[in-house]
Amino acid sequence: MSNPYVPLLFLLAIGGGFAVFSVGAAAVSGPKRYNRAKLDAYECGIEPTPQAAGGGRVPIKYYLTAMLFIIFDIESVFLYPFAVAFNQLGLFALVEMVLFILTVFVAYAYVWRRGGLEWD
Amino acid sequence: MPAMTVLSAPALATAFKPADVDYSAIAPMLIVIAGALIGVLVEAFAPRRHRHVIQVSLALVSLVAAFVVLVTVSADEAHRGGTLAQAVIIDGPALFLQGAILLMAALGVLTMAEKFGGQGADAFTPMGAAVPGSPHEAAALRAGLATSEVFPLTLFSVVGMLLFPAAGDLLTMFVALEVLSLPLYLLCGLARRRRLLSQEASLKYFLLGAFSSAFFLFGAALLYGYAGSLYLADIATAVRAANGALEGLLLPGVVLVLVGLLFKVGAVPFHSWTPDVYQGAPTPVTGFMAACTKVAAFGAILRVVYVGVEANRWDWRGGVIAVAALTMVVGAVLSVTQTDVKRLLAYSSIAHAGFILVAVLAFDRTGVSGTMFYLVAYGFTTIAGFAVVSLVRQGGSEASHLSQWAGLGRNHPVVAGVFAFLLLAFAGIPLTSGFAAKYAAFAPAISFGGRSGVALVIIGVLCSVITAFVYVRLIVLMYFTEPPAGEVVVAETASPFTTVAITIGTLVTLVLGILPAQVLDLAERSSQFLVK
Amino acid sequence: MTGLGEQIMFWILAPISVLGALGLIFAKKAVHAALGMALVMINLGIFYIAQEADFLGIIQIFVYTGAVMMLFLFVLMLVGVDSSDSLVETLKGQKWAGALLILGLAALLFTAIGRAQFGPMKGLSSVNESTGNVSGVADLIFGKYVWTFEITSALLITAALGAMVLAHRERIGAKPSQRAWSERRILENRNVAGLPAPGVYARSNAVDTPALLPDGTPSELSVSRVLTAREQNVAPARHIESEHDIEHEIEEGSQR
Repeated sequence: MSNPYVPLLFLLAIGGGFAVFSVGAAAVSGPKRYNRAKLDAYECGIEPTPQAAGGGRVPIKYYLTAMLFIIFDIESVFLYPFAVAFNQLGLFALVEMVLFILTVFVAYAYVWRRGGLEWD
Repeated sequence: MPAMTVLSAPALATAFKPADVDYSAIAPMLIVIAGALIGVLVEAFAPRRHRHVIQVSLALVSLVAAFVVLVTVSADEAHRGGTLAQAVIIDGPALFLQGAILLMAALGVLTMAEKFGGQGADAFTPMGAAVPGSPHEAAALRAGLATSEVFPLTLFSVVGMLLFPAAGDLLTMFVALEVLSLPLYLLCGLARRRRLLSQEASLKYFLLGAFSSAFFLFGAALLYGYAGSLYLADIATAVRAANGALEGLLLPGVVLVLVGLLFKVGAVPFHSWTPDVYQGAPTPVTGFMAACTKVAAFGAILRVVYVGVEANRWDWRGGVIAVAALTMVVGAVLSVTQTDVKRLLAYSSIAHAGFILVAVLAFDRTGVSGTMFYLVAYGFTTIAGFAVVSLVRQGGSEASHLSQWAGLGRNHPVVAGVFAFLLLAFAGIPLTSGFAAKYAAFAPAISFGGRSGVALVIIGVLCSVITAFVYVRLIVLMYFTEPPAGEVVVAETASPFTTVAITIGTLVTLVLGILPAQVLDLAERSSQFLVK
Repeated sequence: MTGLGEQIMFWILAPISVLGALGLIFAKKAVHAALGMALVMINLGIFYIAQEADFLGIIQIFVYTGAVMMLFLFVLMLVGVDSSDSLVETLKGQKWAGALLILGLAALLFTAIGRAQFGPMKGLSSVNESTGNVSGVADLIFGKYVWTFEITSALLITAALGAMVLAHRERIGAKPSQRAWSERRILENRNVAGLPAPGVYARSNAVDTPALLPDGTPSELSVSRVLTAREQNVAPARHIESEHDIEHEIEEGSQR
């Protein structure tokens, strides 16, 4: 039996080939009539400035969201081995896992009630 | 095919064996965790105006309940020994130190609850996220916001402190270290006044603390490589067996683990965070931190040193002796030049860490009991001391500069008198707990420490004289100097909470000075470490 | 026991990791340093997988490179993307003393640890086959280290509390709803129909570009007060000018 990743490699090659072909074919076959407005990017939104507002700083709200994401991310790290070995681990591990999830959900309840999940 | 093994997921070779749990033995920790969790839920669901009262009572109830359970459980020998697959070892020193931590934490919570007639706890900012001095902060204050999260955070920290001296393996010890440190980093940054100083303290503590945790982890990894196990008991066996091939991992491992632990007690040269953090943190937090962290960290040091790596102590003892001597000298000498009360007490706490290390280095049961007695004596005095500091105000904010303390004894004889008494205890004057503690710490060093022990005790006594000079100078300043011109410095009228905390702290200082026998005896009886 | 493929991979990735780590230390801009660190962490993940620790490798990329790195970047962006470190030493000679101490510590550790003679490498393949990589981890988490695992939840809660306490500005008073806004407008009898929308032009359609009133002047009301205060508004004049230009060019293009 060949390597199980060979089909993936084929898929990658086919996908890449299709993309190159499509762009190339359009470039070769399409008519070309340019004017400035056509080449211009349509700006829907505030025009980019070299320096973001507030001295290039990002509002701290993003940080809060990232931090909360990590907390639940780490919880999921523990969930994965638990799920894989669930059949062997038995009731004790289930209870431990439920306790763990409940405690982390206490944090969730706190963040939710205090408006940490609202962007406004 | 590495990826394929995940997909097929073979069954465990041996059947899964759940860890044994002695629920009574870990009940104190469970109670405090439960208190902290309920505290977080209170923050989530209780209306704002009731939060302070609920949080304070919840924290006090859970700490006292945990202490009562601890005392009950400790009476039964059946609950001694390792539990939770040896991750937690409940033995004499663990029980003694846990009890001390719970009592001191209760006093700490009492001092944190002080409101001085305001809406929230006086020491803490109404909103940590507001820019210091901004209109938003003022609006938060007017709206009656308060950071009552400090109480659950304190409880979480206490959980870590309870686990730290009872940890049976280095991984549990590391997680306990983080559980106790993380809330402290936060608490340090929440002072109501001088916000920038407080935030700076928090940042410094966090960065250096993370750095020291890395040292601890590196050392734990090396010890794991050496012994093939993280359990202190297994490491001790491996050290005694001394297989030659991996010997190179042992000493660096021990040294790095000790660096991580000595950082937490603020021993020189790992002390540089102490003055800044003690000064910037809210004063009640400083007291709590100075007392309880020291107890927990010295508990962990004792366990690592006495249970884990005692057998090769001749390899690393020299280094720790040097650290102890340096700690005493630097702490004592630098406290002479301080002009801020909180910084002065910080340097004094560094010196005290050195005195305690002298007892640790005796390598005898009496050394363990001496260390534990010292920790209790120092802890209660410290909490009361910082509580007094938090009372002395000028224009509403704390008057922590020494010049502001001049003449305090004339206007406020009781407050100044209590503080003077506590300072005498720090100095180790007879009839205070400080004297009994110094005796308990230095006696084993002389009996069992050999020549280096005697040398350390001589350095210790000399340093005590230097610090005594500093304290006496402060007492003279309070009683025999004219008060400074300008706005008058007052000692606020404390609420019953702070009054109780100061009273208990002072009483313990007095009683341990006059009748130390009971507690000394208890420390002696509970000075035997269990390996399993 | 290392196969040829693993060797090739190691010799390609190891120098890249070292470069990334050096970049982390020496990059002037904080964001570049962070990206160097991300590179190192991804490489570490690949190394773990190559050493048959699949779970650890995936977690390394999943949590560290993904999440922790994101957090790190956010912290840097809080500081300011373009801010670079101040190179002024507050303590004179601190840098050299630090370098010297680091070298000393490294030398000490290397000589001490270098004395150790390790046995032959065992690898994880036997464990992976008998117990399974992930099941083995599960066995440890829920067996030996179950208390550590449970206590970790206290760390996670502390982290959530900390993020909220230090970074979340609680709203003081309720936020006015749509209904409240419109009721207030009608009560005050000003802008009853709502404020005018910002300008929509052929090449630009943004909240920072004011709409034009019938007499051709820009309407202050159509853009946010915050943007006006920050002087971030775009004058619509140049859009109107370029519109004429473009119309002209299009006519030219169709004539050609």
